[in-house]
Amino acid sequence: MQKKKIGIPYALYFYEYYPLWKEFLTRLGAEVILSQPTNKKILDLGIRSALSEVCLPVKIFYGHVLSLSEQVDYILIPRMVCIERGAFFCPKMIGLPDMVRSSLQNLPTQLTPIIDVRQSYGTWKNSLMEVGKLITDNSSEISRAFSDSWKIFQQNYLANILEPNLLFKSSIQNNIPKKPRKDIEIPVNIAVLGHNYLTNDSYVNMDLINKLKKMNVNVLTPEIVHPAIIKKQLKKLYKPIFWSLSRKVVGAAFYYFEKKVDGIIHLTSFECGEDSMVGELIHHQSQKYPDVSYTEFVFDEHSGEAGINTRIEAFLDMIRRKKRYEIGLTPSW
Amino acid sequence: MKLALPRLGNIEVINNTILTDMGHELVEAPPNSKRTMDLGVKYSPEYCCLPLKIALGNMIEAIDLGAEGLIMAGGWGPCRFGYYAQVQRDVLLDLGYNFRMLIFELPRKEGIRTLWKNINILRNGKSWLYMVKQLRFAWQQILLTEELENKVLQVRPREKKKGAASRILLKSIREIKQAKDINTLEQIRKETMEKFAEATNPHMQNLIRVALVGEFYVSLEPFVNHHLEEKLGYLGVEVVRKNSIEAWIAPIMKLHIFKESFKEEKDIEQAAYQYLAHSVGGEGQTSVGNVVLAHQEGLDGAIQVVPFTCMPEIVAETILKKVSEDLDFPTLTLTYDEQTGEEGLNTRIEAFIDLLKMRRKRVNVS
Ligand code: SF4
Ligand code: SF4
Repeated sequence: MQKKKIGIPYALYFYEYYPLWKEFLTRLGAEVILSQPTNKKILDLGIRSALSEVCLPVKIFYGHVLSLSEQVDYILIPRMVCIERGAFFCPKMIGLPDMVRSSLQNLPTQLTPIIDVRQSYGTWKNSLMEVGKLITDNSSEISRAFSDSWKIFQQNYLANILEPNLLFKSSIQNNIPKKPRKDIEIPVNIAVLGHNYLTNDSYVNMDLINKLKKMNVNVLTPEIVHPAIIKKQLKKLYKPIFWSLSRKVVGAAFYYFEKKVDGIIHLTSFECGEDSMVGELIHHQSQKYPDVSYTEFVFDEHSGEAGINTRIEAFLDMIRRKKRYEIGLTPSW
Repeated sequence: MKLALPRLGNIEVINNTILTDMGHELVEAPPNSKRTMDLGVKYSPEYCCLPLKIALGNMIEAIDLGAEGLIMAGGWGPCRFGYYAQVQRDVLLDLGYNFRMLIFELPRKEGIRTLWKNINILRNGKSWLYMVKQLRFAWQQILLTEELENKVLQVRPREKKKGAASRILLKSIREIKQAKDINTLEQIRKETMEKFAEATNPHMQNLIRVALVGEFYVSLEPFVNHHLEEKLGYLGVEVVRKNSIEAWIAPIMKLHIFKESFKEEKDIEQAAYQYLAHSVGGEGQTSVGNVVLAHQEGLDGAIQVVPFTCMPEIVAETILKKVSEDLDFPTLTLTYDEQTGEEGLNTRIEAFIDLLKMRRKRVNVS
């Protein structure tokens, strides 16, 4: 029998959940095809087929779906509603399967399991089982595939997280060398925050992370912060945030402020409703930590690489000038 | 405590009932104006949606007039509304204002104590019985106000003298605001309906009919939507308003007496289901369902109003493109932000109405 080909768009929530789906579907004997990392063609496809008012990440998702459509039998587009009590995904991700089929024609069959852990049909297990049934009739096999993939997913997830104290001992406190010869050698710690489909999509963010690394920056992300820390940090808020993805961003931001990293860059999407509110919360918090430089980079399809480069340089310049002063180097101007 | 409410359409009709009569000093936020908008825009986070900005403008104007407590609704997502009050509070604190934010929302965990406290502040030492009576009466005031507002949509395109319908409504709204008992409301209702009947030209039949759907605040606040209902009325169009404060409050209260609007809600969801199978917060799914229903009801078209960057309505807008195509049912989306200009808006609306008129003619010919 021919293997069923299932396409997964390398965008939005799949930055988080691709490993889980891939493991699960492959174990059941399906062939999983992940779209290429975002490139110009994918971006253009997305921009052309979505309403201009739609946020960039959703446009990119459209592009990935289209890029897969000729190669696969199915496309996986889960409806992400709720993965924890008291929080949701953003309206666009909840409506994503409907948006996609309204805007795009001639797509392969779409698999749109609902993840909504408040409902019995929407638990991870039941939702994945539903999809599994398409591939095989053997329900005990599906069930086993689920528990195995879930375990692996959780383990890998935790493996990425650094022990909180380790994180700062290894990378922060010890990294100021006694006598840097040139300014450029002063290492700095910068947290790059944002939804992971922005921070990890190097095409969209113009390779920001690598650029920073090349400039001798120790880059910190929300993913390496332990969920327990995030939870604790969120207690500082007057009202809990009800978006799962943003909880992570805000919790990590508050943590990095407290740890007095040198700088925080918050990556946001222009038309994003979550970011507009969360950005304000982080901005508000930043005023309590004058030692930590804070800036926001807003992305849309018109963002240019030159503009971003200038802003990175200016931001680093400012931070290094401050540090030079702190460690007693004579200013070079 | 001197209390103020943000503005929304004619919601001010309940101010006396729930504030003054409860022994509070009322501070009326001035009607929405360019100044309100400018203040709101200046101090709000740049990328927030328009309703947040305007409501912030109301708050600033109210505090400047002496308000000490601001009453605001809350919520728990997935759209931004539930976080409004928090952000507004932060902004106002940063501006150095001294005030208390009274947020009314379904409580979670510790929230129940805050809610209880807020309710007691509102109750102000009066008996529970009295408070319930006032709330009930406020509800009646809202119902009558919306009934008249809906009626005026039919009268306006048929009025004998331009502006008469709006004038009658304005006067009645003032009376509703001063009313103290059900009998008075009944009297106002009767008189207004008579005046409306008198102002109407009965020979105007078969007007173009358009459903108005979209985001709650923008659809119900004339200053923000640039008096869309009036504009359409004067173009000879009968507007069928699909959003209402009634339907907004009813599900929150989950009370027996509102059964009817529950049923309506179910019907709307049902109608949307084929295109948008899940609620996306705000009025997203409602907008889609209402357009499908408007088509079934034989209306000529629909207008969707969207605050720039509104998450649920952008989902709806995307889907409405498809709905409109499938059903061959014209829909126009109007996006509003602080820069929306009158002229561009007028041109688009007029072109849309012309299109609807042409379609009518075509149907009549064939
Ligand atoms: S969270 Fe923001 S960026 Fe992500 S899909 Fe929703 S609106 Fe777009
Ligand atoms: S419905 Fe739209 S405009 Fe209204 S609060 Fe939500 S996101 Fe903002």
